[in-house]
Amino acid sequence: MNDTQIERTLGTTEPRVNTDEALARFQARVQTEGIVPVASVPRRRVTSRWVQGLAAAAGVVIVASTLAFSGLAGSILQIFEPKSVVAVPISQSDLNYLGQACAGLNLQECMGAYGTFEWTAPPQPKEVTSRAQASALAGFTALAPSSVPSSVTGDPRYGVINRSTATFTFSADSTRQSAARQNRTPPPMPANIDGSKLFITGGPAVVQIWGAPAGTASGPGSDIPTLIVGQAKAPTVSSDGITVDELRSYLLSQPGISPQLAAAIRAIGDPSSTLPVPVPAELAISHPVTVQGVQGLFIGDNTGIAGAVIWQKDGMMFEVIGSFTESQALAIANSMR
Amino acid sequence: MTLPARDPGHAVAAVSPAFEGLFRSEYARVVGIAHRVLADQAEAEDVAQDVFISFYRGHPADAAYGRAWLHAAAAHAALNALRGRDRRSRREAAQAVPLETTVAADDPAVTVAASETREEVRAVLARLPERSAALLALRYAGLSYAEIAAALDVRASSVGTLLRRAEDAFRRELR
Repeated sequence: MNDTQIERTLGTTEPRVNTDEALARFQARVQTEGIVPVASVPRRRVTSRWVQGLAAAAGVVIVASTLAFSGLAGSILQIFEPKSVVAVPISQSDLNYLGQACAGLNLQECMGAYGTFEWTAPPQPKEVTSRAQASALAGFTALAPSSVPSSVTGDPRYGVINRSTATFTFSADSTRQSAARQNRTPPPMPANIDGSKLFITGGPAVVQIWGAPAGTASGPGSDIPTLIVGQAKAPTVSSDGITVDELRSYLLSQPGISPQLAAAIRAIGDPSSTLPVPVPAELAISHPVTVQGVQGLFIGDNTGIAGAVIWQKDGMMFEVIGSFTESQALAIANSMR
Repeated sequence: MTLPARDPGHAVAAVSPAFEGLFRSEYARVVGIAHRVLADQAEAEDVAQDVFISFYRGHPADAAYGRAWLHAAAAHAALNALRGRDRRSRREAAQAVPLETTVAADDPAVTVAASETREEVRAVLARLPERSAALLALRYAGLSYAEIAAALDVRASSVGTLLRRAEDAFRRELR
């Protein structure tokens, strides 16, 4: 089959379009759906998008850790190792209750409300110059997308985060003091939880970022990464005795946890192997998707500007984040080799 | 497809001149790319609308990469739509558009066979790797090598090679 034959095989009659009508239809949809052009969306100025991107892409580890320790999830077990991911919608009232520290993924501040958090091997991001170098440092083969949208240009920057470990010790005193500062009265911490320890491991992780600047930001919107690909060894959590049921009951008894959030956490079928991903209920949508032959999760903000796909396969967590539609994000994720 | 009953001149007033210019210059091309994949004009125009909506939401109208982004998005969105079709919609699409080949339209047997061939062609496109299918869609929608390179973010000097590989894969799958 030559080119002409392929042309004929792929051929269709050339469409005759009415651009005026099409533009009117577009305009009607923009008006009906209240779609806002990107130019009118304010973007916050940040000092270093590279650092922010690195942190965001490491979110598979951080989110898991934060959820486990912040009281959002019932996935704290004697042994926790995610085999799948599930969305947990979090309302604004839940976020208000949890406070900015938790919402901002600051583990130590967030966990200070329940006890003592201590890094035994803190995460130390390091930039390397190639994927091969990143793979060597991480100890696994860092996968990369073989196909990306045209908006993603240039070579990526590579970051590696070492295997990190932390210990958290529950403290009834800390919980009472923290609640008192917020004029709250917490439910009593069960005696077997007070003083018990959780041990968490996360990473190593490899982060690839396209569109990240070499230096610091010079202006708003000028250095936003176009694509972030994160890959990490699945995090694990173990405890020195408390069970997931005990812990889940305690966490869900906290005032301020909405019935919807509690129901979502209770609905997690197998909390020992399910990574809950917090999704702001008012700001984002999420639903299960099939990616790389397994079930993953698509999360998109309500404006359609940002989308992410998260999945777990063969003991590794993956995420693809960027300014993509769902199909684009999935295409990138499925092209990872 | 149902078009809104409104006056086009009135309806376009709210988008920026830059976006309107981009829409007017690229709409036919975007539909053409999607149509090459889907062989259904209504569906291709739906895809084009979605593509422009995505661009409008996420990118400034005067972005230098705008045209390339739209071309790539048209191919990927159309391929995604193609993969999502069920058997019934595929049959409907096959009946909706006449073939461009030298089919004796008054011969039902030939028409049915040609429709089946076209369905198989679309099935092959859906099975091909994303980049290969997109390459074929863009090339046979009339884009230049430079435009394909920009859309798929590959070197212009590589397009010929990539295209030949895509065509080889297409032939193998079609057998």
